[in-house]
Amino acid sequence: MNNSPPIEIAPQSLRLFHQSLFKTLVYFFLLILVLAGVYKAFPLVMDALFFIVIAAILTAVFNPIVDRLESSGIKRIYSTLMVFGGIFGIVGLGIVKGIPALLIEIGKIRDVIQQNAAADSLDAIMKSINLKIATVVPGFQLDSEMISSLSAQFFGQLGSILAGALDTVATIIFILIITMFFLVDGTRMTKKLIGMVPNRYFEMSLNISYKTKKQLTNFLKGQLLAALGVAIQSIVGLNLLNWLFDANISGVMLIGSIAGLANMIPFVGPFMGMIPAIIVSLFNNLGDPVAATHFYFIVHIIVMFLIVQMIDNNIISPIVVSGSMDMHPLTVILLILVGSKIGVLGMFLAVPAWGISKVIIQEVYQGLKGHHLI
Amino acid sequence: MKENPKVSYPLYESFKDKLKPKRSQAQMVLSKVNVFSRLSWQEIKIIENAIHIRNYAPGEPIFKQGDPGSGMYIIIEGSVGIFLDIPNQSPKQLSKLGNGDFFGEIALLDESPRTAAATSLENSTIIGFYRPDLMIILRTKPALGAKVLLALSEVLAVRLRSTNDELVKITRHLESLEGSEDHE
Repeated sequence: MNNSPPIEIAPQSLRLFHQSLFKTLVYFFLLILVLAGVYKAFPLVMDALFFIVIAAILTAVFNPIVDRLESSGIKRIYSTLMVFGGIFGIVGLGIVKGIPALLIEIGKIRDVIQQNAAADSLDAIMKSINLKIATVVPGFQLDSEMISSLSAQFFGQLGSILAGALDTVATIIFILIITMFFLVDGTRMTKKLIGMVPNRYFEMSLNISYKTKKQLTNFLKGQLLAALGVAIQSIVGLNLLNWLFDANISGVMLIGSIAGLANMIPFVGPFMGMIPAIIVSLFNNLGDPVAATHFYFIVHIIVMFLIVQMIDNNIISPIVVSGSMDMHPLTVILLILVGSKIGVLGMFLAVPAWGISKVIIQEVYQGLKGHHLI
Repeated sequence: MKENPKVSYPLYESFKDKLKPKRSQAQMVLSKVNVFSRLSWQEIKIIENAIHIRNYAPGEPIFKQGDPGSGMYIIIEGSVGIFLDIPNQSPKQLSKLGNGDFFGEIALLDESPRTAAATSLENSTIIGFYRPDLMIILRTKPALGAKVLLALSEVLAVRLRSTNDELVKITRHLESLEGSEDHE
């Protein structure tokens, strides 16, 4: 039997062991605290990141204008203030002119629905609509009660929608303030950030940052110009429909703007732009039994938007959109589905965000390859 | 002839020192580089806001041969070796540059690969002035950008002329060698 004496640990080693154990425990405790903090602060961090990303995109849009003003000898801060003055002026004018017009429009639609429901003339129109629906979707039938309850729900929620709008306005103002700082001090901020990169990757990071910014600006400029083109064409087209065929479409400016913005989403966007025009014309023509029976105005609207799309796809987009999104329809549908988890804004931003990410990934890959790092 | 004794005015001297504009080390170095030497101090200050000051350890590469060119470097302090990589041999040192010297200026104009490598030979502080910085200056301060480009093209023209002279000398030398061979 081995009666070896018990191992004696020197008091100094024991003290060191206790010290290291204490240190490990402290580090572990701190780690848990940090993780808990991150978990708790995660939504806040995500919010801040969202604001920063949107502000960075807006900076890429407005930077060429500020640069142009600065190149004419105006100080950068004043150039930025001039651009923001212009933006606030346009937005302010839109609010002052647009909101009362929109409220009048909503009021008109509500009156038409209520009048028609009261006069039972809606039932006659419903019959003709249902006859047409039955040929496409058998079993699905609309009735005046359904329309009335839907409209009551919509007008009931109008208050909460307006409250949400106020919240959105606050967010927009916050994002614009960040954008203003980015525009005035963006170059210095980027310089400070890139200054932290180690020497080995410095040149590459600087190049990637510059090229990505340039590509992003070109991409957004192209997208916005194409959107503007579609908006103008839609406004002209809808006005022509009103003038030539008495289509009775109101809120043309608003519908055209929606069509232009929706056009930034490939494949699905053009249809999204068409829907408000059809809905508005349907409501406006409810009182006209002839129009409501034949629905020829819907065909006119669809044809008009198809012509706008043809002009956009074959003439405008090839000229103004430098970096085409070049996406598979399935990718677009998946992106919109993923974006819908965040809401309408998510649906709208998912495709352009993917396009921007693609540009960044391409530039980083080419930069790494050029410097023989991959 | 008796010389007038030098009169000093302590109050004036003190004000003179205080009123003297303070120039940073980077501004002083930039003002001595051909590309920026004709710029006013105000313009040099704008260039100073665009440049990047980097510190390199001894033996640390600044760029490697074959890397895409991004810009020029100006040595504030320290020394840099320019090396040519030769296959199956150790790199050959072409030159050693010191305080105030600059290199890599052609990369401000095109992105073609670096024809040699630059390595810091001691602890060096170096100014980096890159194409993106020049592009931003050209976009926001076109007059200043044009001045820099003009000075840069002058530097390149001088270098091209001296290369041409060297080429003429070499051609003549070769012709004389061929002539002497024919005589023999």
